[in-house]
Amino acid sequence: MSGAKDDVILRMKDLKINIRVDEGVLTVVRGVDLEIHKGETVGLVGESGCGKSLTSKAILGINDKKCRAEGQILFDAEGTGMTDLLSLKPRGREIRAIRGKQISMIFQEPMVAFSPMYTIGNQINEATLLHITKDKKKAKEISLDVMKKVGIANAEKRYDQYPHEFSGGMLQRALIAMALVCNPKLLIADEPTTALDVTIQAQILELMKTLQKDFGMSILFITHDLGIVARMCDTVAVMYLGRIVECASAVEIYGNPMHPYTRGLLGSVHKIGTKGQKRLFSIEGTVPLALNLPKGCGFYERCSKRIDGVCNVQDPQLTDLGDGHRVACFACAGCPGKEEPVHE
Amino acid sequence: MALFKKKKATDESYYLASQWALMWRKLKKHKLARFSLSILAVLYVLSLFADFFAPYGLEEFSSVYKNTSPTRVYWRDEDGRLSRPYVYKLKKVNDRKTFTVIISEDTSQKYYVAFFVPGVEYKLLGFIPCSTHFYGLVNEDGVPDRSARLNIFGADSNGGCIYSRILFGGRVSLTIPFVAAAISFVLGILLGGLSGYFGGWVDNVIQRLIEVLSAIPSIPLWMALSAAIPPGIPVAAMYLYITIILSFIGWTGLARVVRGKFISLRNEDYVMAARLAGVSDFKIILKHMVPGFLSYLIVSLTLGIPGSILGETSMSYLGLGMKAPATSWGVLLKETEDLVSVAQCPWKMIPLIFVVITVLAFNFLGDGMRDAADPYK
Amino acid sequence: MLKYVGKRVLLFIPTLLIISILIFFIIQLPPGDYVTSYVAAMAAEGEIFTPEQIEGLRAQFGLDDPWYVQYFNWMKGIITRGDFGYSFEYGRGVWSVIMDRLYLTLAVSFIILVFQYVVSLPIGIFCANHQYSVGDYALSFIGFIGTATPNFLLAIIIMYIIYIRTGNVYLGLFSTEMLQNGMRWEYVPEFLGRCLIPILVIGTSGTCGIIRTVRAQMLDEQARQYTLTARAKGCSEAVITYKYCLRAALNPVVSGLAGSLRTIFSGSTVSAIVMNLAIQGPVLLAALKSQDMYLAGTIVLIQAVLVLVGTLLSDIALAWLDPRIRFSERG
Repeated sequence: MSGAKDDVILRMKDLKINIRVDEGVLTVVRGVDLEIHKGETVGLVGESGCGKSLTSKAILGINDKKCRAEGQILFDAEGTGMTDLLSLKPRGREIRAIRGKQISMIFQEPMVAFSPMYTIGNQINEATLLHITKDKKKAKEISLDVMKKVGIANAEKRYDQYPHEFSGGMLQRALIAMALVCNPKLLIADEPTTALDVTIQAQILELMKTLQKDFGMSILFITHDLGIVARMCDTVAVMYLGRIVECASAVEIYGNPMHPYTRGLLGSVHKIGTKGQKRLFSIEGTVPLALNLPKGCGFYERCSKRIDGVCNVQDPQLTDLGDGHRVACFACAGCPGKEEPVHE
Repeated sequence: MALFKKKKATDESYYLASQWALMWRKLKKHKLARFSLSILAVLYVLSLFADFFAPYGLEEFSSVYKNTSPTRVYWRDEDGRLSRPYVYKLKKVNDRKTFTVIISEDTSQKYYVAFFVPGVEYKLLGFIPCSTHFYGLVNEDGVPDRSARLNIFGADSNGGCIYSRILFGGRVSLTIPFVAAAISFVLGILLGGLSGYFGGWVDNVIQRLIEVLSAIPSIPLWMALSAAIPPGIPVAAMYLYITIILSFIGWTGLARVVRGKFISLRNEDYVMAARLAGVSDFKIILKHMVPGFLSYLIVSLTLGIPGSILGETSMSYLGLGMKAPATSWGVLLKETEDLVSVAQCPWKMIPLIFVVITVLAFNFLGDGMRDAADPYK
Repeated sequence: MLKYVGKRVLLFIPTLLIISILIFFIIQLPPGDYVTSYVAAMAAEGEIFTPEQIEGLRAQFGLDDPWYVQYFNWMKGIITRGDFGYSFEYGRGVWSVIMDRLYLTLAVSFIILVFQYVVSLPIGIFCANHQYSVGDYALSFIGFIGTATPNFLLAIIIMYIIYIRTGNVYLGLFSTEMLQNGMRWEYVPEFLGRCLIPILVIGTSGTCGIIRTVRAQMLDEQARQYTLTARAKGCSEAVITYKYCLRAALNPVVSGLAGSLRTIFSGSTVSAIVMNLAIQGPVLLAALKSQDMYLAGTIVLIQAVLVLVGTLLSDIALAWLDPRIRFSERG
């Protein structure tokens, strides 16, 4: 697809993920459309259980066997061009050549992301040996080089140490090193700083920003922390109950949030500088269980702007409001009765 | 950070349900565990009311029926018409030519299978005098007749009904593991608790003891211990001895678990809080710590029961446990000691089926309980 | 590492002492002693001893001392002269009685141990990798039956089936021809065939236990985050299974080594009696029954020592396998 004017490297089309459980089949991700451009950082925001982690793992095809993904995930793979990742066998050779090489991932809890049985060096080097070179000496050089780049001091000594000899922050750096060693096009960061101290968090985020510039990769940043999103992301997609309910540039989301859920999320963030005693806003109610989803908008029961007779009957679709600000809400984008969306 | 309040009432009942209610709910969903539980219930009921369900008493032997195969039940009469099920009596015939005794069916008279017939007298549950048996034979006049026998699983070398003896044997084989488990349970909690709670030299001594006991292979140890049982003691005392011997090793595994749990719980805030509030050590252990892992203990107990069932069987089999006329499944299986008797009387292996089923049922139940013990998973 | 091994070996000695005391105490627990059962046996044959003669026998065997004195003398003999005492039944030294069967016992136990791991590891891995498949269910079912059947009865069943199929009775490890003519090359196949039954019988319950452990462990490990990391890195499933999961799943398997030895000794004791194997089990039972206490004591002691050595070896193997243990021990 080289030379196309849009530099999209990943495009999800109507991604659905089902999980088989004892009680039946849960549709946890209910149709996600998302694009990631070259060099862009996209934030995927939502509360626990909204399906953001499953979505990100679906890209690599590393979800549990109980999960089944439908739809399309097109990736601009090296050599083969736009490839639907979902059409590849999840245990096959093609997808494995993409994993770790062109798309890599870092995880929430660095403390358990490494096997305690092998040295950090061994585990980082494994990726190098798999994807770059079979030459052991050269591979070690490359791995050490990346370890230095992510700020692991005394890398030669650290290379031969075991995970339990590392601190949480250092392990996250090592995990990032492992993800970046093959210079991937896309880095998926699944809540990479949630388990870390605040000061370490800041360091890691700073590191990721610098590395993104150096390596020129795109990042899909998954988090529930809006503060991090504001700091890191160019584009933000807000997810609720397996759907993207609002998607816009970070500036737009913070300056002009449309969806009541986004507003709720922003209202519940404590802003420095606001005057004293104001209570944090909290969204009423809980997320409905995915097993018995109500008809209509998933946010209907908790929404302050709901329109009875519309929102509880029809499911709103993402609608572009202009400037690429898309929102799935009848109250913001107009009712279907009043005829179609403004754009498109 | 988003703060979400107010849970639905239905959700709340799930989160507020007691540990036991949750475990039970989970266990009921586990099909295999539920099935095992009902099998065990049937087995226990059968042996509790063994006097009633068994057609013959513990000491009712018939010399004619020695080593005979399961009694053949006829469904059709001589003309091939469907009939009320009946059997023939066995009789001894001396073959004058070969000087051998031949056992054959005496077809002169039919004995019909009937339910709720009077038989040998017994005391139901130990105190209700009764003589009705679940099934038995009646002659053509409808009068109960005990000269013919219906041994559905055949007869042993004394001419006892194997089916009846399995039910009576179940009283020993099914309860010994339980009593042994109860003793192991108390010992395990006590010694494991002391070890984990106090630490220091107490811990050291108990740990060495466990190490020592678990280094000696169990059957040789059991053999040595049962060799020490004085011969000719009453059945009840024998029962007690065997139980104690079986629980001799059982507690060590449990004590290890308890110790581990105590060590991890000892540093929990709520235990510290209780200690600071001046609650006695004993009360802390019993009220605050044990309930926290009781479900795990019960699970490991259930999984430990099969071991003692097999232990009792092996010991009786070697002639070191219960001895006739008292019976247990091991005693019954002793008849299969050599290949010849198995080859001649394969039905003597039937008690083995009961052993295997019981052990399997306890294993599956334990597995189900282990899954259920972690209800939020 | 060396220091750790040294420490473990030192701890080994007091444990061994306590074990020997315990064993001796239990062995002499039955009322009466060898002289009692000897006199009873002789009386059955019509030879009656006078009380003086009986006392004389007791004094001769040192049985009139209290048990701790007897224990002390026994231990003294073992430590100073390597003398494990006297077998009344056989009328010679315990050690020479044991040596008759020691090599065969050890060989049989060792073969069973190897058999257990060789069979159960691949099956356990297969079951975990194909969880809830037909193969998994079938193998698990067989495994459950295997653990639920007392192995001495399994012996009877297998022998019965062989008897029905072939009409031959395979009792013992050696046929009469072998015993008469000595071991010849042409007997080797039959000997191996005869070995197979005890291996199956004694090894089955342990094998099934290990399969269940391996399966559960592998499933646990597969659910761990590092498996996901490895997969995200592009590792093949084989690397994930063998390099990552299996390595971690081996821990409980290795630490169960001593337990396996214990079950083998336990199982072989009863099964050997049923199958008439020329190993230590039947001798032990006979010695216990006739209160030939030094012989019984030594056999149980040897088994316990082997289990302890097994524990030691598995602890060392564990420290070698798992860097976390290795490091905590170093510090």
